[in-house]
Amino acid sequence: MNFQEILEKIKTKHEVLESKEDLGVLNAYIATAKIAAVAAFMKDELKFEQLNFITAVDFPANNAIEVVYHFFSYETADSVVLRIKLDRAKAEVPTISGVFKTADWHEREASEMFGIKFSGHPDLNRLLLPDGIESPLRKDYKNPDMTPLPKA
Amino acid sequence: MIKAPFEMEKISDEEYILNMGPQHPSTHGVLRIVLKLDGEVVTGLYPDVGYIHSSVEKMCENKKFEMITPYTDRLDYLSAVNYNWAYVAAVEKLMGIQLPERAEYMRVMLAELNRIMSHLLWYSAFGMDVGALTPIFYAFREREEVIDMVEGMTGGRLTHHAFRIGGFKNDLQKDFLSRLEKFLAKFEDRICEYEALLINNVILTARTKGVGILDKDTAINYGVTGPVLRGSGCAIDLRKNAPYSVYSKFDFRVCTGKNGDTWDRLKVRMDEMRESAKILKQAAAMLPAGEFCAKVPRVIKPAPGEVYTKVESARGEFGVYMVSDGTEKPYRIKFRSPSFSNLSVLKEITIGSKIADVVAIMGSLDLVIPEIDR
Amino acid sequence: MALLKELLYNSGKPLSEFSSWMHAIWAGWGMPGFLLDFIFQLVIVLAVTAVLVLNALWIIYYDRKISALMQIRKGPNRVGPFGLLQTLADTVKLLIKEDVNPKKIDILSFWIAPLIIFIPTFAVFLVLPFGNGLVPADLNIGILYIIAITGLSVIGILAAGWGSNNKYSLIGGMRSAAQIVSYEIPMVLVILAVVLMSGTMKMSGIVAAQSNRVWFVVPQFLGFIIFLIAGNAEVNRAPFDLPEAESELVAGFNTEYSAMKFAFFYLAEYTNLFLTSAVAATLFLGGWQGPFLPPIVWFFIKTYFVITILCWIRWTFPRIRVDQLMEFSWKYLLPLALLNLVVTAVILKF
Repeated sequence: MNFQEILEKIKTKHEVLESKEDLGVLNAYIATAKIAAVAAFMKDELKFEQLNFITAVDFPANNAIEVVYHFFSYETADSVVLRIKLDRAKAEVPTISGVFKTADWHEREASEMFGIKFSGHPDLNRLLLPDGIESPLRKDYKNPDMTPLPKA
Repeated sequence: MIKAPFEMEKISDEEYILNMGPQHPSTHGVLRIVLKLDGEVVTGLYPDVGYIHSSVEKMCENKKFEMITPYTDRLDYLSAVNYNWAYVAAVEKLMGIQLPERAEYMRVMLAELNRIMSHLLWYSAFGMDVGALTPIFYAFREREEVIDMVEGMTGGRLTHHAFRIGGFKNDLQKDFLSRLEKFLAKFEDRICEYEALLINNVILTARTKGVGILDKDTAINYGVTGPVLRGSGCAIDLRKNAPYSVYSKFDFRVCTGKNGDTWDRLKVRMDEMRESAKILKQAAAMLPAGEFCAKVPRVIKPAPGEVYTKVESARGEFGVYMVSDGTEKPYRIKFRSPSFSNLSVLKEITIGSKIADVVAIMGSLDLVIPEIDR
Repeated sequence: MALLKELLYNSGKPLSEFSSWMHAIWAGWGMPGFLLDFIFQLVIVLAVTAVLVLNALWIIYYDRKISALMQIRKGPNRVGPFGLLQTLADTVKLLIKEDVNPKKIDILSFWIAPLIIFIPTFAVFLVLPFGNGLVPADLNIGILYIIAITGLSVIGILAAGWGSNNKYSLIGGMRSAAQIVSYEIPMVLVILAVVLMSGTMKMSGIVAAQSNRVWFVVPQFLGFIIFLIAGNAEVNRAPFDLPEAESELVAGFNTEYSAMKFAFFYLAEYTNLFLTSAVAATLFLGGWQGPFLPPIVWFFIKTYFVITILCWIRWTFPRIRVDQLMEFSWKYLLPLALLNLVVTAVILKF
């Protein structure tokens, strides 16, 4: 399947807000509330049974955080990226850990690294970071202990 | 990192909590497993990771592209080459660099040697986990030879930093191929020796068969990859399913287990070493002459875009997700590490077994903590 | 020369002659006889302890060399000629190290545990016939005494596990208790069969019973195997080293122990190994009997033969799991030992 076909298939059931091709891989923007349904659809009907990872990318210029879901199909060896745009100030997205168990830990990591709330997640405790460090992978994160070197 | 795992608060009078780790002989690094036990039987388990989180992803955002490769060595110090590969492949894909044929074959050879190194170390460590103290010395006898070969090629014994964007820093050593041939000639027998020593041992089979059964669907659902997934009977190997580099030219088998228990995972790794030896033989025979590095611009500045490249490392799928904004530094890098997902399934397959089984199962998952914590 | 030969080959006679000679002198000085007996006993105990401690040091070296042989490496070879003094150096290091007492230990059981383990292992040697007549105290119930005294060490391990106030130690202690109790039974049943055949519980009697017939290892081969397995389990060595399984329980019951107390455990472990092998050699391999060489040499040769087998087992096998350990004892060893006993009894009767 090329990315057009996959896109058409997703569009038959679910709304795709925006889509682009990046090096042959489909990137489809999905509505925030729909993500669990689309993930289930991807898994059950399009046979994208592997969720490679979940992460986020911070774009302060657009005031957006994009959550990235990367799927892979073992049968056809195709990849698909689902993306969700979130407001930086109020980053909240439904969990898909009910669909993919692996999402559990990936969401926990994304949550602590970017300060995204995955609503409905069974255990949104910290995974890697100790207490007191808030969303370090956001672009505007400043380490309180770090003083910049003086300009030469 | 957690202070008290939430589930553990509900604990009956019969049960107690045992902290396995962060310093424990068989957690292979700084991993803490909180066990809820009823006598010797595990009734609850909570893996606690992050003790050596070093924020590699954040550091990478402040480094130029060519400076990041050594960081990937440190993620998995046991199969560093495969991790280099995923990273440099990501940059090469973004920049559209075509590798010379020779470089591709050299990469395959190094990666397979690296896989053998990693599996041999896993074998020794697993032996220690189950209380067999002798296998390590036999496995290290061969591992030492492999390391010597790789050292001659790259200069490093553990974190090789072998790959450069576009190929290699230097060509193969002159005597590399003859050494490789000499090594491969006896390696097959040596694997049989390992199997006789540990894998087919009566006590070990009694301890591992039917223990920690991971079925296919659970494995895929948890994103488990690599030998652990293949042990569950899924013939999924990125070298076959999504062939990268020149892997499609080699003739090798995807080794799988039947029941998905601990023993199957061991067996898969032993078979994989055989297959790696097979690939090495073919690669050495097919190795073309020519350049070992492509023409790469002096300043590495990929076009804006996103890329996800993955390789089959010794532990499973290692992937690099990279967002470039057209500058000299990556905008965002995410490392998708196999042990991260493989560890998350531990709870699923351990509950109901004994303390000793936890150790054996963890050993069969072949965890490397730095790549979980990153 | 003749005296030396007599002393080596038939130690009982010259020793008793020496004793009565001393008694005569002693009586001439007008001293009471029991005092001399007491002094004799003291000397014997000291001599046996000294021999055993030195022997334990040597066994540790031997075990390490055997393991090195199996693991294609060299083993200790730095301290002294061929590394012979390595264990001595280790022991001295352990003795002069700081003695760490963790905060919340149960001080009494923590301190007494090494002694409870250490003393019985040495006390057992009182009834072992090292040579012809070379028995420190030839009790009528020698083998029963051995069984009874070795059973004490489990209390020590439990005390160590409890006193350390550490969950790993406690699990180790509990495992050890379960293990020793389970393996004691097949062991005793096998010993019973030997007692049936020899008709005595006296250790020297058991050796004597093997002098004019074949050694008991031939008619009691099954028993010998069961004894080796159970004995190996009793001394907590791989594949039965569950109480101190380092990959599961860190170090089991001696997790919190250090310095001298740890040295006690360590010495006791190896003395125990020697003990089990010595008992096996006495019960099944004809004790000190053998041609050409003096009895005491034969005794040590046979004992070291058994030790070598146990070391070989230790450095080859992975560790067994706790439920399999119990299963193995109760489902296989115990019925086999019972069968062995019954068959022996039936054959002896008819």
